[in-house]
Parts: sequence; C-alpha cells; structure tokens
Amino acid sequence: MNWNFDEIIQQIGQEQQLIASLSELESFRIKYLGKKGLIVDIYASLSSASNEDKPVIGKNVNILKNKLAGFIDGKKKELVDQKKKDSVSEIDITIPGVAPSVGHKHLLTQTIDEICELFKNLGFVIQEGPEIETEFNNFDALNIPSNHPSRDGFDTFYVDKKDPDNKKGNLLLRSQTSPVQIRVMQKYKPPLAVIVPGKVYRPDALDASHSFMFHQIEGLLVDKNVKFSDLKGLLEAFCKRLFGKNIKMRFRPHFFPFTEPSAEVDISWESGKKDWLEIMGCGMVHPNVFKAVGYKEGQYTGLAFGLGVERIAMLKYGIKDIRTFVENDNRFLKQF
Amino acid sequence: MKISLNWLKDYIKLDIKKDELSCKLTMAGLEVEAVTSVGADTVFELEITPNRPDCLNMLGMSREVSAILNKPRKTPTISSRKKIKDKCDITIDKDCGCARYIGTLIENVKVGKTPDWIKKRIEALGLRSINNVVDITNFTLMEMGQPLHAFDYDKLIGGKIIVRRAKKGEKIVTIDEEERELDPSILVIADDKRPVAIAGVMGGKETEVTSRTKNILLESAYFDPILIRRASRKLGLTSDSSYRFERGVFFDAVETGSTRAIDLILESLGGVITKTTDLIAYKLSKKPNNVTLSLEAINSFLGSALTLKNCTSVLNNLGFIVSTSGRDKIKTTAPLFREDIKQVVDVIEEIARIVGFGNIPSSLPFIKASNILPDESRIKRERLRDVLISSGLNEIVTYSLISKKNLEQFNQSVDFLSIINPLTQDQEVMRPTMLPSMLSVASGNINKKQKDIKLFEIGKTYGKDKEKEVLSIIMSGQVLEDWRQLSKKDCDYYDIKGCLEQAIKRVGVRELKFCNSQHQFLEAGVQASVMFKDKAIGCVGQVSDEVLKRWGIKQGNVFFAEVILDKILEIQNKKKSYKTITEYPSIVYDISLAVDKKIRFSQIKEIAFELGTDILFDVQFKEEYLGDKIANNMRGVIFSLTYQSPTKTLTEQEVSLVHNKINQELINRLSAIKR
Repeated sequence: MNWNFDEIIQQIGQEQQLIASLSELESFRIKYLGKKGLIVDIYASLSSASNEDKPVIGKNVNILKNKLAGFIDGKKKELVDQKKKDSVSEIDITIPGVAPSVGHKHLLTQTIDEICELFKNLGFVIQEGPEIETEFNNFDALNIPSNHPSRDGFDTFYVDKKDPDNKKGNLLLRSQTSPVQIRVMQKYKPPLAVIVPGKVYRPDALDASHSFMFHQIEGLLVDKNVKFSDLKGLLEAFCKRLFGKNIKMRFRPHFFPFTEPSAEVDISWESGKKDWLEIMGCGMVHPNVFKAVGYKEGQYTGLAFGLGVERIAMLKYGIKDIRTFVENDNRFLKQF
Repeated sequence: MKISLNWLKDYIKLDIKKDELSCKLTMAGLEVEAVTSVGADTVFELEITPNRPDCLNMLGMSREVSAILNKPRKTPTISSRKKIKDKCDITIDKDCGCARYIGTLIENVKVGKTPDWIKKRIEALGLRSINNVVDITNFTLMEMGQPLHAFDYDKLIGGKIIVRRAKKGEKIVTIDEEERELDPSILVIADDKRPVAIAGVMGGKETEVTSRTKNILLESAYFDPILIRRASRKLGLTSDSSYRFERGVFFDAVETGSTRAIDLILESLGGVITKTTDLIAYKLSKKPNNVTLSLEAINSFLGSALTLKNCTSVLNNLGFIVSTSGRDKIKTTAPLFREDIKQVVDVIEEIARIVGFGNIPSSLPFIKASNILPDESRIKRERLRDVLISSGLNEIVTYSLISKKNLEQFNQSVDFLSIINPLTQDQEVMRPTMLPSMLSVASGNINKKQKDIKLFEIGKTYGKDKEKEVLSIIMSGQVLEDWRQLSKKDCDYYDIKGCLEQAIKRVGVRELKFCNSQHQFLEAGVQASVMFKDKAIGCVGQVSDEVLKRWGIKQGNVFFAEVILDKILEIQNKKKSYKTITEYPSIVYDISLAVDKKIRFSQIKEIAFELGTDILFDVQFKEEYLGDKIANNMRGVIFSLTYQSPTKTLTEQEVSLVHNKINQELINRLSAIKR
C-alpha cells in the first residue's frame, strides 16, 4: 500500500485548524492515534510493504506520529488554558441542580421542637398526656371550681363517653395542657421539671385568630424553694433565646385558677415603641393544686407556664391567619 | 368595663398623666384595653379578671388606684335611715336562687330630667340617659357595683313582687322591646300574674318607669351568679347588671347600694318612702378571712427584699385590717368584699401586684437532674418523622375533629367517639381514621394546582376505647422533581409502600407483612393490609375512584397509607449488635422467570431461603415485566440471589449447586417458565 504523506499532512493540517474544543481534539486524536487510527493502520501496512518502501514509510510514519503527538499535547494545553480563561463555562451552571428530595417538618412541629429544645437544655424533660381527659385532671385538680364558666359546654368539648372517675360526668377534650401537670405530679415526687407539648381543644368559632384545635406547651418546675423571681428569670432567659436578645419583656399580673400569683408575659420587639404582645401565661403553682395531687402542704413550691404554639409561630413568622397551619398548602409547607 | 377619669377624681386627687395611669393599672393586674376621650373626660376600658368582681365599679377602682399610687381617697356618705314598718308584698320562692331582696316603695316621685352631674358621669361610660330614675339606678350600679331596678309600682298587678323560676312557655317583652321566651331554668321577678323582669338580666317593658310614673318600687337584690350566667347565655342577652351578677356582687352592697340610690332619688325627685322590705332567703358567708404570714415567708416566696412597711402599706390601702407583731409577723383581715383572699399566697399576690412584678428581682432557678425517664414512644415518633422527611415527604397537621358526613363519604362503618356539644357539624366526630383529613388536604392542594404531593402526618385517631398514635401518608402525582426527566414517573403502590417500610424499619421494626385486603375505600387489587405480629395495624393502597370523586379529586393516582403505631412504639427494641462485614467475596446470580400473575414475590423468597442453605445471603427483587412478550396470565420477574459465607471464599461450583436447585424448584413448585 502506498501512502501519500504530503496529502496526509495537508489533510491533517486542515483538520487541525478547525479544532476548537477538547472534545473535537479527542475525536482528532482517536482518528489518528487511536487503536483503530491511521497511524496504527500505517504501521500495520509495513508488513506488506516492499523492502525498499519500508524504511521510507517507517521514517515518515514516525515523524508523523511525533508531530501529531506534539500537536495534541500543545493544543490540549492551549485549549485547557483557554477554557480556564473563559468567563462562560461549557455547561450552563445556572440551571438548578437536581436536589435530592427532602421533605419539610411542619412549622408547628418546628416551633414545638425549638421551644422544647430550649427547655431541654435547661434541664426539663418532655412529657405528654392524653387528649381525652377527665374533669378531675382538666378542672378540679387545677383548682377550677365546679361552677366555673370554663366547664360549660360553651368552653369545653365533651365526648360521649363516661368518665371512669365520675360516673355522672362525661370525659372531655382537654382545654389546656395543664392536666399533664397533674398526671406528672401524681406519678413522680419532686424535684421535677417537665415540658409538655400537645393539642388542646375549645369550642371557639373559626376565624383568623381562633381555632377549635390548637397546640400548647406547658412547663412545670416543682421543688423546695422555687421562687417567683425564678419564674421571672427562667422565662426571661427563654424569651431572649426564642425571640432575640434585644426584646423587652414585662410580667403583667393576671388571674389563672391554678397559679398564684399569676402573670401574663408581654414582649416588645422595638425599643421605645410600646407595642406589647402577649405571648404566654405563667405563675406560681397554687397550693390547692399541690393538695389535689397529695403533696404535703407547704413542702414544695413550683412555677408553671403555658404558651400557644400557633400564636408564637404567627408572631415569629408573620403569619396572619391561624387557619394557614391546617390548610397545609404544599407551598406553605415547603417555605419552612 | 369602663371607668371615667373625672369620676375617679371625685374620690382621689390625681395629677397623673392618663397614659401613665393606664400603664400603672395594667401593671397592677387591671388591664387597660383602650383609653378614649369623651368630651372633657377620659375613659379607660378595662379587662377585669373574674376573681375581682369588687373592681367592677368606680369605688372599687378608686380603692385600687389609691393603693397603686399610695394616695388617700374619700368615699360618698351614705345616710342611715329609720326603718319603715310597712312592708311591701314581696315573696322569694324557696330555693329559687335569690339570696336577698330589698324592695322600697317610694311614692309621689317626679320623673323627669336627670341632674347634669349624674348625666355627665353615666354618659361618659357610654350609657344613654333615659330619665332621672333609671339614670340614678345606673349611676349607683356604676359607682357601687350593685345592680338596681325600678318598677312602675302601679303597673305591678296586685302590687306584688314574687321572685320565682319562670314557667315553661312564659314570655316577657324586655325593655329593649324584644319578646323573649322563658323556661324554669330562668329566674324572674313576677307580679301576681306574669314575669315583670328577667332577674339580674333585664326589666320588662310593661312595668318600666316612664314620665307618667308616680310611684316606684326599687329593687336591690342578690341573685345566684351561675343562674344569671346561664340565663344570660341562654337568652343571648347580657347587660351591665348581668355582667356583675354573674361575677358575684357583694352581699352587703345590696343594702348600701339601695340606700345610696334612695338618697339620690329623694334628693332629686322628691317622693316619700312608704314601705320597705329586706328579705334574706339565705346568707352568704360573712366571716372575715384572717391570714397571718411572716415577712420572711413573703420574701423567700417572691425572691424579694421587701420591708414590713412596704407590705403593710399596700394592704392598708387595699382595705385590709393589718397588725404586726415583732419584726416579722403580719396579721391581716381581708375586707369582706375580697372573697378571693383565703390563704397566704393570696395576700402575697396582693403585695407583689401592687409593688409591681417589675420591681421583684429575677433569678435563674436551680434545676436538679430528674429521675423522670425520657418518653421512649415520643423519641421513636420523632425518629419516624425524621426518616419520612428525609424520604422527601412533607409533614402536615390536620384537625382531629371531622364531620359525620366526611366519615360516611368513604363507605366505612367504624366505631367512633362523638362530641356532645359540637360548635358546627364539622366537629361532630373524633376521627377514627386519618383518611378524611388526608383527602381534604390532598383535594385542597390538587385544586390549587399543587398536583405533586407527598404528605404525612403523625397524629391521633380515636376509637370508642382509646386514642391511638397513627402514621398516615398520602401521595399523588409525580415522585421526583427532576428537570432532566431522568426519573419522571407517576407515583405508585411501591413508592408509598417503600416510604412506610423504610420509616418503620428505622424505628427498629422489621416484621411488617403485607396481606391481601378488601378495604372499600381502596381500589380493588391495589391494596394491602399491613400486618405486625399477625395483627392488622393498617392499610396501604390506591384510593378508589369512587372515594376520590366524592372528595372532588380529579387526579387518578392517589395513594394512601395508615398505620397504628401504638404496638410498634411499645415494643422494646432488641439490642442491636454489630455484624462483622465478611471479607469473603459474594457471588450474585440472577434468575428470570415467567410466573402466574397470582404468584407473589414473598413465595419466591420463601422457597429460595428454604433451599439456600447457609450460603444464601439475600434475595433482591430487580424487575417486573407485564408486556406483550409474555402470556396474558403471566408476568416476568427478575431477582438476584447473593451468595456469601462469613467463613470462606465460595467456589462457583458449590454456589451453582445450590443456585440451580433453587432455580429448578421454583420452576417445579410455582409452575414457572424460565425466561
């Protein structure tokens, strides 16, 4: 076989000019230096070449091979350098990456987790209780007298199941997480520090700020010599962690049957402007509550507090309508 | 409740800015909700807590202000009058709910214009001036907190007053000109023939005082708070009187209130008292509450450093009788109208409230390590939640109360717990299953063009016997979002099953089985019962078209799973121990068979392990073929068998021996065809 090296070189020269990318260079390499490339073909033909052609072809092919190799190395370096300098990359780096599918915790769960975590770090233990409760745990033991308005059907849901402790009464849907205080105190002796998240129910008409089901978190600390100043200090530490160091706080006297003294906690974001937002209720555990769980009079003091999770989340994230949480719009879920 | 600043100044010299006073009231537990200007006056709107009925009047509030500002105050003088012998004809039915009733007949009054100073005061509080009689009763109500009512005596049939329960079907037109139907749960004031007032709530039109009235009968009474509250709720009617009766008026004010009003009536209307009656059906306890406490107790409870003088001065201003002994002891007697003061903490609260919670220091509590064990079930639920979220599902929270209609919508007859007093039909039932909640959310999203959903909730369902922890998943649309379309496909049974299995496995439970089932609300043939230790604990499958249609979901592939977690959360996980990762290589062989459609993969697996000796390590499902290259009643399955030994390198020969046997037995026992 005869090889026209001049023509080959000319052909190669033309092709070389057109190479503008690494992939084109690679195709070029394969075409000439690849396992089935031209150079291999030429070497293969040597065996059948005449004796006088052999050294000529051999010399030429060696030169050609070296040239090609030299060109490819040089061009590769050139192209890589050029690519490094290029301001626009080869692939469209702005197309979104394909994210592994990871879901979102509901904002209420996130808020509950965040609050419980803060108290866990302070030494509180998470406890839960049932949603269907007895009148004793939801009212009597919490020093709520039997004629109290909150026991009316207007303020508490009752279910069609008899209370095992009070055959005359029906069981109810707890209207607060406080009955868990009673359950915990009946089960354990102080010192105790518990934090109780959960759902509560009240027959409130649905609107932007009311719901018949919402979430509360309740805290209880009982020991010898728990003081009112401890209540203040604890909740100040909590609010600063949850809402930021720069908030202002005040404890406003209030009334709850199961604590005395009782207070509501207000916070204010802006300094100067007196725009107080009520965020939680708290107080010193009422002696009648200790009596109801069988603690000896005067032996322990305690502090308790409770907050509405929806309310906190609404304040924190600027949500205007409480129904947003249970609508569960996918776009809402994915925001948090 | 409203109070007027000018009126307050009748009792206390005040030179405080209204905003400052407002703030001080709020910080003493008398929350000011609004401050408005009414003419030259300023009106504070207060939210008084239910334990403080004594603050629901100007005098009560002046006492609070005097304590807060530590300023002296004066109170109006109330005359003492000679008892009149002639009695009004008044009876109180036994046990009807009226503790005391004072009736005073004043004859020859001149009903007409109200003195300006009274008019100004009551109008500031938002009351409309009617005539001098009505205005004076309202004035006294606002000043002393004692509700009063004046009847036109000549319109009372038989000149009689009977306090009794209403009869069934009895009616009355109240002064707001509404006709109201009564029943025996409602206490009324009646004359010889008919009710003339709804006790404590509102008077009747026919006996009201008008410009032609000559003789009036003034009522001052104590009605049972609960009775008044229920009547008011039942009738949907509240008034300044009912508001105060509900919270409890002061028993002694029945008399002083009456006297104060009579003073004002005689002063401005003339007239002569001709008859008077004071009936006491039952006495409310009148024992003063004595509480003794020590300064040390106060300070150690509050964490404060108050002095004896701090404490006694506050209590004195609030009307307590206080004496001290030694350097530490404080003996107190609470005023009779303070029925809320019963024990030491009640007195401490009064001191703290007036000193100001802001003036009590803050300290961090000393929290001891607890012997309460963490709640294992909750920890597992949290783990489950985390796994599901990392599997790409979004968590939702839905109402536990649903409507009966919703329950009927998926053809299931289940035992459920009802709410006795639902507010609306949407809250009649405690959900016995999560399906309605999940479908509502799915439907809401799909209708808002959110077609690709993967949602779960860990919540509760409620049976007749108990509430249960439940995990529920709903999926529809496409599984993954990938613009390269590498894995674009509609979700199916295996997607939801995979999520469920993976999550449950991660809380340490490997024994879930899936069995044939016939749930009405799931598509026949694309559903399973989830079994744990041979008990059905839930279901998984495609929601039936019929159910989807009822929920207005037009998208077809909706998959639902629900599993009761109680048993799963309860079990004590076996101690996990490390399995040595064998260094000897594994050999993987595939088997491809055509089997009858009814043959389950679980059967194949069972046979394989039966014959696999101890070298068969795992059987993995790889592919299912349902195309037309196979007989209609058959399907193609490919699965791979991994052989491995922990003690040696297996030879191809010994693996082939076992593998061929498995292959052959599968073909024999399952009538399978090699593909």
